[in-house]
Amino acid sequence: MMKNFIHSRSLVVMTILIAAMVCTPLVSSFPTGISGVKDSGCNCHGATTSDSVTPMIVGLPEVYNYSEVYELTVSFTGGPSTPGNINLGGFHLWASEGELSVVDATVQQYNPNEVGHTEVGNDQTSWTVVWTAPATDRNVEMILHTNSVNGNAGDGAGSSGDEWNKITKKINAPILVLESANPYVVLSTLIIISGILLIITITYIFYRTNPDSFNWESFEPWIADWLTTTDHKKIGTLYFLAGMFFLGIGGIMALMIRIQLSVPGNDFLTQDQYNQFFTLHGTTMIFLAAMPLINGFANWMVPLQIGAPDLALPRINAMSFWLQPVAALLIFTGVFSGTGADTGWTGYAPYIVSETAHVGTTMWVAGQIMLVASSTLTGVNFLTTIAVMRAPGMGWMQMPLFTWSILVANLMLFLSIPAFGVGLVQVYLDRVIGTAFYDAASGGDPLLWSHLFWYFGHPEVYVVIVPAFGVISEVIATSARRTVFGYRSMVYAMAGIGVVSFIVYGHHMFTSGMSPTLRFVTMLTTMLVAVPTGIKIFNWLKTMHKGSLIYRTHTLWALGFLITFTLGGISGMFFPSMAMDLHFHESYFVVAHFHYVLVGGTVFGFFSAIYYWFPKMTGRMLDERLGVLHFLTAFISYNGLFWPMHRLGIWGMARRHHTYFISTEEAMGSLPAEAAGWNMFISISAFLFFFSNFILIANMIKSVIRGQKAPADPWGGWSFEWMTSSPPPTPSFPLDDLPTLRDANEGHIANEPSAIVRWFQGLMVLDDNEEEAGH
Amino acid sequence: MSSDHHDGEHHPSAWGPHDWSHGAPHNSWSPIIMSIGIGIFLYTVASVYSWGNMVDSSSIPLVLIGLMIILFGLLIWWRQDASFDGIYEPKASGTPFQNIEIRKVAMWVFLMSEMMVFTSLFSTYMRYRFGIDSCQEVYESGSWIVNSQNVDTGEAVNCFLPASELIASSWFHIAPGAINTFALIISSFTIVQALRWAKKPIGSVDEEVRRKRVYRYLGSTWVLAVIFLTLKMVEWFVGFYIPEIGPIHEHDIMSLVDEGYTIHADHYHPHHGWDDIHLAELAALHPEDYEAYLSAVGPNYEPTNAVMLADIRVSSSTFFVTTGTHGAHVFIGIIGLTYMTWKAWTGGYTPQNAVSIEYFGLYWHFVDLIWVIVFPFFYLY
Amino acid sequence: MVASTLFWNLFDEYVLWSLFVGLLTFGWLFHHSFWYVSSEGEKYDNPDKIEVGVFPRHNDDMKLEVAWTILPFILIVYLTYISWAPLDAVWTSADGGMHGDECEEGQSSNNFLDSNSGAVVSECYHIIEITGKQWVWSFNCNPNEDAWRGDVLPDRGYELATDICDVGTIAIEGYGMQPLLSLKAGETYLAVMQSEDVTHAPWIQAIGTKEDVLPSQKTTLWLPMNEVGESMILCTEYCGDAHSIMSAGLFVHN
Repeated sequence: MMKNFIHSRSLVVMTILIAAMVCTPLVSSFPTGISGVKDSGCNCHGATTSDSVTPMIVGLPEVYNYSEVYELTVSFTGGPSTPGNINLGGFHLWASEGELSVVDATVQQYNPNEVGHTEVGNDQTSWTVVWTAPATDRNVEMILHTNSVNGNAGDGAGSSGDEWNKITKKINAPILVLESANPYVVLSTLIIISGILLIITITYIFYRTNPDSFNWESFEPWIADWLTTTDHKKIGTLYFLAGMFFLGIGGIMALMIRIQLSVPGNDFLTQDQYNQFFTLHGTTMIFLAAMPLINGFANWMVPLQIGAPDLALPRINAMSFWLQPVAALLIFTGVFSGTGADTGWTGYAPYIVSETAHVGTTMWVAGQIMLVASSTLTGVNFLTTIAVMRAPGMGWMQMPLFTWSILVANLMLFLSIPAFGVGLVQVYLDRVIGTAFYDAASGGDPLLWSHLFWYFGHPEVYVVIVPAFGVISEVIATSARRTVFGYRSMVYAMAGIGVVSFIVYGHHMFTSGMSPTLRFVTMLTTMLVAVPTGIKIFNWLKTMHKGSLIYRTHTLWALGFLITFTLGGISGMFFPSMAMDLHFHESYFVVAHFHYVLVGGTVFGFFSAIYYWFPKMTGRMLDERLGVLHFLTAFISYNGLFWPMHRLGIWGMARRHHTYFISTEEAMGSLPAEAAGWNMFISISAFLFFFSNFILIANMIKSVIRGQKAPADPWGGWSFEWMTSSPPPTPSFPLDDLPTLRDANEGHIANEPSAIVRWFQGLMVLDDNEEEAGH
Repeated sequence: MSSDHHDGEHHPSAWGPHDWSHGAPHNSWSPIIMSIGIGIFLYTVASVYSWGNMVDSSSIPLVLIGLMIILFGLLIWWRQDASFDGIYEPKASGTPFQNIEIRKVAMWVFLMSEMMVFTSLFSTYMRYRFGIDSCQEVYESGSWIVNSQNVDTGEAVNCFLPASELIASSWFHIAPGAINTFALIISSFTIVQALRWAKKPIGSVDEEVRRKRVYRYLGSTWVLAVIFLTLKMVEWFVGFYIPEIGPIHEHDIMSLVDEGYTIHADHYHPHHGWDDIHLAELAALHPEDYEAYLSAVGPNYEPTNAVMLADIRVSSSTFFVTTGTHGAHVFIGIIGLTYMTWKAWTGGYTPQNAVSIEYFGLYWHFVDLIWVIVFPFFYLY
Repeated sequence: MVASTLFWNLFDEYVLWSLFVGLLTFGWLFHHSFWYVSSEGEKYDNPDKIEVGVFPRHNDDMKLEVAWTILPFILIVYLTYISWAPLDAVWTSADGGMHGDECEEGQSSNNFLDSNSGAVVSECYHIIEITGKQWVWSFNCNPNEDAWRGDVLPDRGYELATDICDVGTIAIEGYGMQPLLSLKAGETYLAVMQSEDVTHAPWIQAIGTKEDVLPSQKTTLWLPMNEVGESMILCTEYCGDAHSIMSAGLFVHN
């Protein structure tokens, strides 16, 4: 009883702490003052509103007529403004729809929908402007800010003592238009709903495990076990759940981005919201979706494949996982209050350390520092496990390729992520305690950040693709009933990609004014990436030769991967060519390319992994028919989603722009007229792609509830994971009875250590034997 | 998903202590608690400070709460570890590391990433040290006179002022760093002695003697590490006073912060020097060394007692963050040593689990090694 | 739409090779994925002796593997070579390269197309200045006086004629009033660029080129103008709130 009491108490305490972290508005992250383009205008006069000032707009109708011109009188009363002051006041008016225009010299125009007072107009409390109503049905919102000025600016006191206030007026369209939702509210609601669904699913799964003891007394130790577990399989499942959850969240953000871009000049999202959405979309997808999904499978499969009882450092492994959800909370804190990070996932300096970047950026940086810590611990764990815990008989060259891919990926990540961590700490300190690493005014170098970031950033994109290579190698070989063609060249190719990844990052900085010599070197090394990648693709194709290809859903995904990844690889070859890169850099061509590689590569690879290993993980088979349906819908809509983006990029559509305009006879724009149609097509495909993936979710839920029982080796693989029962026991292999790998290659000498290895072994083992002799 | 392991034998409690006699996983509350603590810490520090200003002092208790939660998690971790007696120490099965303790390999791997951390910090240092004109050169070139970047105009030059300009200026300034270097080197020796005594085969040494030696050596390592951080604080923030003793004159050694060498120093000028009279005198004495000066200000320049101003925020940021990162490593070492000294005091170290001291020793030697590189680059050169 | 022969020559060549590689790969993939289908794995009887817990027989062919290491390597060496040639157009140092020296007063660049690479070669160039700040571009045809952060541009000694370079404003739908740069076709310009706050990058859509504008150092960008037309300059290095509407118009006239 006592133990249970402690458990429940600690759960309550932790829930409160998490809630406190989300809710406490400590980081002045609630929007108090005026910020953003549409609101800026009089934010120079103090940060808080004052009730003593009363702004007014006279001349507005309740319901407007199409295209009618209204003359508005903008004024205010109250505040310190008294006749005889040097200045009396100012205003700023913003209209969501229609156009504002100027009638006299006291008012100036900032934008077609934005006006403010001029220097001359500083001396009055009332101004006249003209508003032309829109020609279509829109709900119009006008925001008026007025300043009441006490006139001490001339005495050098600036704006001190001035007061301001704002009002918002709504004008209805002739026909009732539904209010459009606030995207923040939509996103937050969806995140909360997803969270609740996740909790319900977890509760339901608990119910299914033992319907008779569905009560708190048995739930509490069950959930406590999940929260405290250090078993690699359970942590793998946690990673998997977290990854799928954030894949959904990132997807929702992508949909909002696509809604915004579906038509030219759309205003579903403001610039401000759009900037945060693409920043968090990138960060979420790379760090909170792709990496946890990979880690989920790596946690599950690596110890099983190499015949180890668990990972080398199980508690450190739990630490790696638990840093992630807390980091995710930090990364998203800004969004919940409307001031999320708006820096792009690359967070280029000096914008990231400028005060124009939202306060949420600090939390975004803090969250990523935790993710760096998490990845470092994961790296220690996997590198150690794979290096030292292979079962007897398994030399380096008998490791399954998925294990190899995890080894290469973690080695890359491990050697590169400290640079990113140091950069993040520098940015965090710049933003928090005021160091000057990236402050251009004090001589800080923005390119230093680019170097630290891309030194990590480029290996990072290979870190998320290489494990997919491992999955595809396993799946294609198993499906074709063959060994993967050229096992050794596969390994060397992967290692080659790992080495090359560190010397190509300069191609992200081709347009940063880097030295001509370096540009050439980077161009060459970047092109070199195609060689090992090409080897892998040809090897996969050759694996099918003279095989017996059995089509299962995972086979389909693997073949789909071959198509999309090859396309992504080919489009990648356009970037190292400098003269083309100068046009493509930061265009939609880049967006198309990396989505072909990251979605068509990593995500498709891991969809394949889900269909391949789900039976091993849960002991239940997935539904093949639902799987094929998922593949067909997702594969087709995916290509509809990303293929046209290549063309848009060539036409001149820039990435990270919240909207675009097309060129017409009368007006200049950056894109030809066809671009609008293609963008709509892309947005529709995006929705289809997003929702097609629910088939997978449904399939998994269905399988857990009433799937067929899975045999130990449903697909006919050879590696150790298929030796264990489905699901495997804990510990995965008994300590005193580790499996031994046999080798079907007669007279095969790969297992025999080379001269260097023998020398190295002599150094290490000899020493140890002596020690043991001493005991 | 369904398997549930709640036989109390394998899982005494997720709060510890663990039964280390087998390899099965042990549940632990520590990871989740520490993660939450780290999150709260990073969050609240950013609430208290923003752009170098304290914006919300009421959140300081929350920073402390964050630290307490981390410490609480750490205590659970230690409680689980304290029962480790070395009977089950996982050994490597894969070639070429067969029979080596797995955790030793893990420590080496971890140090590899630590190496990258300091490499990145050194890259930053080299970028700024060699990419920005040094303040001494700018001063001697006289360009600040032409651009009127002096105390009267309030305009500052962007230049690099290495902390060594202040630290290596006298033996007294350099004393804390020098003593620290020896403290760390000696502590590397004491930790090895602790390992040596812990490793002595059973029977070859009296257990009480072993216990005393091990905890005393670990304790002295702890003391040396604390001396290191204390002297660092003295050097950064406090300064010290030397009375007149025999031939030694009275000295009031100012700390770096008192000298104005801070991360906010965008209008820095030293308490003495950097004036154009001194510069003109030097130019008159060694015209061949000061051609740049002469060509900048012209031969007929009349010194006006102007003093050069410098924005040295980049230099001081680089110095404080790099040496501070090293200091943080020492601090983490102190935390680890606290636990180990306590464990040694209870007689927890035997030849079977003495390797734990070795793992820590690897880390500690690494921290020492880094200092040996940091010291000449940041304190002497 | 990009009007750069340099770009399109390279692009066409790359597309050709992409088609070749793509057809090869996909042809191979489709052939194998249909030819070797079997419903229960009966087609070939486990040639590699796959069995759980046994590392299966190697399935490799050294000659083939070496072949598809060498052949792609030759292809990329060729692609690097064809991308290398026009690099001069992108980076040649300011003096004596394929754009000559800075123009004398009244001298014209007399751009012409190098038929091999598609790059524009000129006799001389005019220096102009582009400055980025949140969230406006500004252009300066006569940057002689510029002493930004102590870095003085060499004084050219004369002012550019307004038909060679002129600045103004233009109302662009959706973007509002934006700065306008008028340049002359047949002239080559060297833009010297710097930012006043954060990193920006002007995307000169007409000739498909861009370069970052940094707060800490000057960067340069060649603008060899050959075709008459109106186009836009966008910002393509994320710079905050109004990044997407930080734009300008570019008129190239005869």
